[in-house]
Amino acid sequence: AHAAPFPEEPKRENKNVALFDHLYGNPRRTTLAGASKDVHPAVLALGLQMRNYVICGSSARCVATMLAFKRVIEAYVTPPQNSLPRHLTTHLSSQIEYLVSCRPLSISMGNAIRWLKVKISEVDVSTEESAAKTDLCNAIDNFITEKITVADQVIEKEGSIRYEMATKFKVIVVDSRPLFEGKNLARALADLGIEVQYSLTHGISHVIKDATKVFLGAHAMMSNGRLYSRVGTALVAMTAREADVPVIVCCESIKYTERVALDSFVHNEVAPPEELLIQGETSSPLLKWLDVPNLQLLNLMYDLTPAEYITMVIDESGYLPPSSVPFMQRLSVNS
Amino acid sequence: MPSPTGVLAPSLTTFTRSVRSKGVSVESSIDNLVSLFKRRQIRDSRPCAVATAQLLRRVVETSKVTDISKLIERVRQIGQRLISAQPRELSIGNIVRRVLGVIREEVEEDREGETSGYSDAGTDSRPQTPKEQDSRTPEPSTLSSRSLTTSPLRHGEMDSILEEVGDERPQRPPLLTSHTSYAVTNTAPTVTSMFSLLSYPRSNIHSPTATPGSQSPSIHLSLSSQALANAGAVKDLKAEVVEGIHEILEELNQADDQIAGYALEHIHSNEVILTHTSSLTVQKFLLKAAAKRKFTVVHAEAYPNHHEATHADVIGRTKSESDDSLSSEVFQKTLTAAGITVVLIPDSAVFALMSRVNKVILDTHVVLVNGDIVAAAGAKALAKAAKLHSTPVVVLSGVYKLSPVYPFDPDALMEDGDPSKVITYEDGDFVDKIEIENPLFDYVPVELVSLYITNLGGHAPSYLHCIINDHYRAEDLDLDISDVYQ
Repeated sequence: AHAAPFPEEPKRENKNVALFDHLYGNPRRTTLAGASKDVHPAVLALGLQMRNYVICGSSARCVATMLAFKRVIEAYVTPPQNSLPRHLTTHLSSQIEYLVSCRPLSISMGNAIRWLKVKISEVDVSTEESAAKTDLCNAIDNFITEKITVADQVIEKEGSIRYEMATKFKVIVVDSRPLFEGKNLARALADLGIEVQYSLTHGISHVIKDATKVFLGAHAMMSNGRLYSRVGTALVAMTAREADVPVIVCCESIKYTERVALDSFVHNEVAPPEELLIQGETSSPLLKWLDVPNLQLLNLMYDLTPAEYITMVIDESGYLPPSSVPFMQRLSVNS
Repeated sequence: MPSPTGVLAPSLTTFTRSVRSKGVSVESSIDNLVSLFKRRQIRDSRPCAVATAQLLRRVVETSKVTDISKLIERVRQIGQRLISAQPRELSIGNIVRRVLGVIREEVEEDREGETSGYSDAGTDSRPQTPKEQDSRTPEPSTLSSRSLTTSPLRHGEMDSILEEVGDERPQRPPLLTSHTSYAVTNTAPTVTSMFSLLSYPRSNIHSPTATPGSQSPSIHLSLSSQALANAGAVKDLKAEVVEGIHEILEELNQADDQIAGYALEHIHSNEVILTHTSSLTVQKFLLKAAAKRKFTVVHAEAYPNHHEATHADVIGRTKSESDDSLSSEVFQKTLTAAGITVVLIPDSAVFALMSRVNKVILDTHVVLVNGDIVAAAGAKALAKAAKLHSTPVVVLSGVYKLSPVYPFDPDALMEDGDPSKVITYEDGDFVDKIEIENPLFDYVPVELVSLYITNLGGHAPSYLHCIINDHYRAEDLDLDISDVYQ
């Protein structure tokens, strides 16, 4: 869907925004061409799905990656003169490399992959290959269940945002360009019969007047208590805090990271600027943006919400203040 | 879209054309403008202000009133109709007040001019003027006695004095003190239609601050009792009022350039400036600075209501896209062509970038008397983010956007836009199930603004009310619609 709509010109101005020059890296892979022959078809598909935001969101990407890796492991045959714990890791690495070339890994994917590598290295060399593979696949299933599925259920329960409670409430979904991910949420909630109000970032100062609680999703929680999430989250949290509305972050502990961050510049993801062109609009003046010198489009994916704006974090183990995130992170790593 | 003017969609351009043509009566122009406002076919501060000024100029030009108080009343009533047609466009009311102020001022200056004319003619020395005036104060105030007691010397000079009125305004000495004393003794409201041609419209004054001394000219004029001279005076006055309205229109045209004139005082080299939505004022301001300095502009696109205009701004407009509200100025250089790096961002990225922004420059729809502004939706969150990062927020606004209205009910100034801009028809299936919010404006409180730049210069938020007081007369502040029903 995102085939490059512009013909390559021999000499082109650098359209990278100087402040984020360190984040551009190689352009995202658009085709399968040049992918290593080791890469499993499931992973090939997954990479493109993630690239085109068919699979989007920290948890979904994590689950999809683990499921794809399960298929990789199932199809894996240890080459002669090699042991599974040693070789499987390198085999996975080429899969991961491909995924990164499609879209940078999410924090949750990084955490899950690290866990999987540890699991693989723990496999006893003497174990029979088929048994080891089954063990690993079961471990992956357990991981998904434990860290994501059950965690989500627990968070849901703790957050008492379950619809079954029959409390009457209204949800205001604040969405943003260019992905409009909120539409899916709004649609899902509306289909359940919940009263939904939908607005975009520009209306935040208006809709906050009616809100009594703000729930935020997370891409990751940093070890200094800051929330790293879809760009625009910080605006919502700030507006809510100013209006004395509690801000609650729902976040599985798989999304905790030992990383710290102070601004949205050092660590971030810059998506292809073409995504900012309005879809389905052929007359948009922006289509010519590449021909306009000195014009740059910035399509930032994430921003960092200061810990002061966050009242509470809910994860599968309970409620905690954002300052407790590093402790929980240590616990979840050591467990 | 209904199109009363024919081929073109109704807009400011078509209105300008129709209001100038002799074939269209004033009444139909008024009705036309009222409906244009109601249908939002003319919107935004500047187009509304221009249309209002043009209409009022036509009204004054064509008015056959022989009584200035009637003219003021007529302008007021038309103003009320226009305001009630679109109460959220405060610039309409601003212009109506300015025009009323022009009329009142001309009336007063005329009066002053005449008295000074008399004294100059009589004694040829200004310092003596008050004395002479004072000597006249004990005049009896009834008509019959006046004609007897006033010196015949002044009769003959009537015509030349009236001629002087137009050219000599700047030199007139202020005679207010003598007027005051005069007025106190001479309060009988004996104005009848013929005699009150140039008199102050007592009947209209709601406020106690009415200028004193208003009766004196009518008395002198009544002495001449020449209908010809009177008609000439009204014509003169009318011409001056039209000239005054013309000046307002000029100001509307030049405001952006004048504001841009202050650009170099506010932008330093290598600065990162954040702006929001599409605005000619801001663009001119930045362009002016771009001629001398290098800086970076981060432009938030103000989706979904103004992003198209914003995109057009950064890419550069083509002829076909010309918008009547921008008229000929449309084809100007883009910032990028001036060598400025422009980074276009979605509104959501504002917070992420704020820590590297040096200044936020905002356009506004309206500035209210306490300094609060009504700006494009998204501006409040942006200004708040700036405040949290201690980034100064500069608001650019022509004086015509400064409204003397106190915002007792800010929500009344807000407006909702087309929901289909938020959820397009492709998502029609769930439109029925959800409520869509698409505000057009944000109400930004004065605390979030660091500086206002008008065509008169930069002002601290606390100083704004002085500018407003300078531009509107106290007796016109209350143009309230409710007055109509009194």
